Amino acid sequence: MARNDRGLTALTAVAAAGILLAAAFALILAPRAAGLTPNETFAQRIIYFHVPSAWLSMLAFGVTMVGSIGYLASGQRRWDGLALCSAEIGIAFTLAAMASGSVWAKPAWNAWWTWDPRLTTYTVVLLLYISYFMLRDAMDDPARRARFAAVYGIFAFLSVPITFFSIRWWRTIHPVLFDAKNFGLSHGMRPVFFFSLAAFTLLYVILLLHRLRLERSKEAVEGLREQLGY
Amino acid sequence: MGYMVAAYLIIWFATFAFLFSIMRRQRGLEREIALLSEVAREKDSPAT
Repeated sequence: MARNDRGLTALTAVAAAGILLAAAFALILAPRAAGLTPNETFAQRIIYFHVPSAWLSMLAFGVTMVGSIGYLASGQRRWDGLALCSAEIGIAFTLAAMASGSVWAKPAWNAWWTWDPRLTTYTVVLLLYISYFMLRDAMDDPARRARFAAVYGIFAFLSVPITFFSIRWWRTIHPVLFDAKNFGLSHGMRPVFFFSLAAFTLLYVILLLHRLRLERSKEAVEGLREQLGY
Repeated sequence: MGYMVAAYLIIWFATFAFLFSIMRRQRGLEREIALLSEVAREKDSPAT
């Protein structure tokens, strides 16, 4: 096993341990929320994974934008690879955040889904990034594909801050966790929440490294095929 | 409690499904690289 592979395997084990610890802290250590029904009390613990999943999706799409700018500025293919890999992770965590949010909404709002501004704008984000992959698939020429995807990746990111601020700009039933004046969690909940956020961020880094390694392997296959004239 | 378990399972499933999909694709590509490298070596080596 190469030294890089060993390092990645070790980091993956650390990330897995972090996520396991985060789950244990969220289910056991975090204090109960006050003034909720029994169903809501349990469901409230979803935020320790739901919010970090949503954060990861936004971080991933932000990295896609950075990769897109990097590609347009330098023309180097590795930036396009970074944008592509991060967008894929972003989609996985957008789906996870939407599904877990929907499960929380049932006991809290008595509905699996509602066209609330946050849910609507987040759906738009998901559709925009699914379209990012459709756009890439529609083009055969790698340079043209990377250029168009980079421009699209920059503009698609505009939907992310709109989603983040939607619950502050418009009338909504979605809870506002971060506020200019206060923070919507008690002192006992904060360490667990921030630990979970850190564990998920490490998970994102690991997934991105694995996905980038895959992209390098794809490029190696393409290079060999070209060399052999296939 | 059922809602909480369901939400956690969804996130775990999404994470592991993504990781396994990456690993599966990686294994496939490594096999392809090995095969193509062998073909390239055979092509480069003089015929016996």
